Amino acid sequence: MQRILFLDDDEQLAKVYKEFFSNLGYQVDCAQELEEAEALLDHYPYGVVVTDLRLSKLGFGGLELLKHIREQALQTRIVVLTGYGWPELKSEALSYRVDAFVRKPTRMTELAQTVGLLMGAGA
Amino acid sequence: MKTPLLQAVLDPDRLTVFFQPIFHSRRINQVYSLEALIRGPRGTNLERADVLFDYVRRKKAEALVDQSCVAAICRAAVDLPPHFRLNVNVHSSTLGQNSAFVKYFRNQAKKYSLALDRFTVEIVEHCPTSNVLGLMHSIGVLRSAGVRLALDDVGLGQSNYRMMVDCHPEFFKLDSYFVRGLRVDPRRRAVVQSVVTLAQAMGSSVVAEGPESKEELWELAEMGVEFTQANILCPAMPLQDLVAAGLLGNVDAAQESEKKIEDIEGARQKLAAAAGEL
Repeated sequence: MQRILFLDDDEQLAKVYKEFFSNLGYQVDCAQELEEAEALLDHYPYGVVVTDLRLSKLGFGGLELLKHIREQALQTRIVVLTGYGWPELKSEALSYRVDAFVRKPTRMTELAQTVGLLMGAGA
Repeated sequence: MKTPLLQAVLDPDRLTVFFQPIFHSRRINQVYSLEALIRGPRGTNLERADVLFDYVRRKKAEALVDQSCVAAICRAAVDLPPHFRLNVNVHSSTLGQNSAFVKYFRNQAKKYSLALDRFTVEIVEHCPTSNVLGLMHSIGVLRSAGVRLALDDVGLGQSNYRMMVDCHPEFFKLDSYFVRGLRVDPRRRAVVQSVVTLAQAMGSSVVAEGPESKEELWELAEMGVEFTQANILCPAMPLQDLVAAGLLGNVDAAQESEKKIEDIEGARQKLAAAAGEL
């Protein structure tokens, strides 16, 4: 089963992701902290990681996660999901070879389409 | 920062304790000790122990979580028959940097009427210990209370020669990486043999983790490995399941283990016969 990791500190949103993507047949893990996401990434193979760039309680954890993925040379696709349009943040994220940006709020079907395309494309 | 997830890990009530028997290699109907193994809060991503402790190290919360684990273990072990020994994992950084840990450990053992000389502290070293003096002090206090020491994951990571000399553990726990496949890999076999020789020279014993076949169990015993911990003999499980399965001393368990010994003897004879044919 293809596995997705969401990093978002919004617990309610995490539940929505989990339910929606589980119904599509994915194995879904949701992390609310950077360290939790990093620990999961080191133990499970994820086809796609979806992360918010700015985690309100924890600063810019999303960027740290992108750095971790690239430093560890993990074979996973990255979708950045953010409600913040800061160009400098987006520019830094791009330097970590992000596969797709999706603006929050977004329709789940649109996010699912992006995830599906990346899963199909492989690493 | 103590996030809600870390707070959950720091609550002993949210942790689950499994126990896995460590057997005498030549008498696998005899449990020598039980290693207490922690599972993280149910319903979280940290139920799996490797993810849990990876998270804890990233949060730099080893000392606090080691305390939480000790509290959960002591409470879970209260119903364990008193002749069983208990192995408890503790980060070397906890012993090195947190002088309060040993006191906490003693208090928890006392609270549940567990004699300290039943415990073996397995020193887990995932990063070099910066405070060697603190570590030595903690070890001295534990030793004077009758606690034995084991060096975990020997051969991997930071479980190095210096720790063997400084800590002088009673047990070297040989990682499964070197144990699995030792019969067909001369390099693994060489590592196992060298660790056994080293342990014997230091007056210590070797515990092999993770053999996967009867032939490996036999081979390890022949090489001088005194103790074995393996899923093939008994996986980790809650204490009540160990008791229900009769693995803590009833007749059925003894008979089951006797059968395993017979199987191993059979394997031994087959190997000897095969060697004779060659």
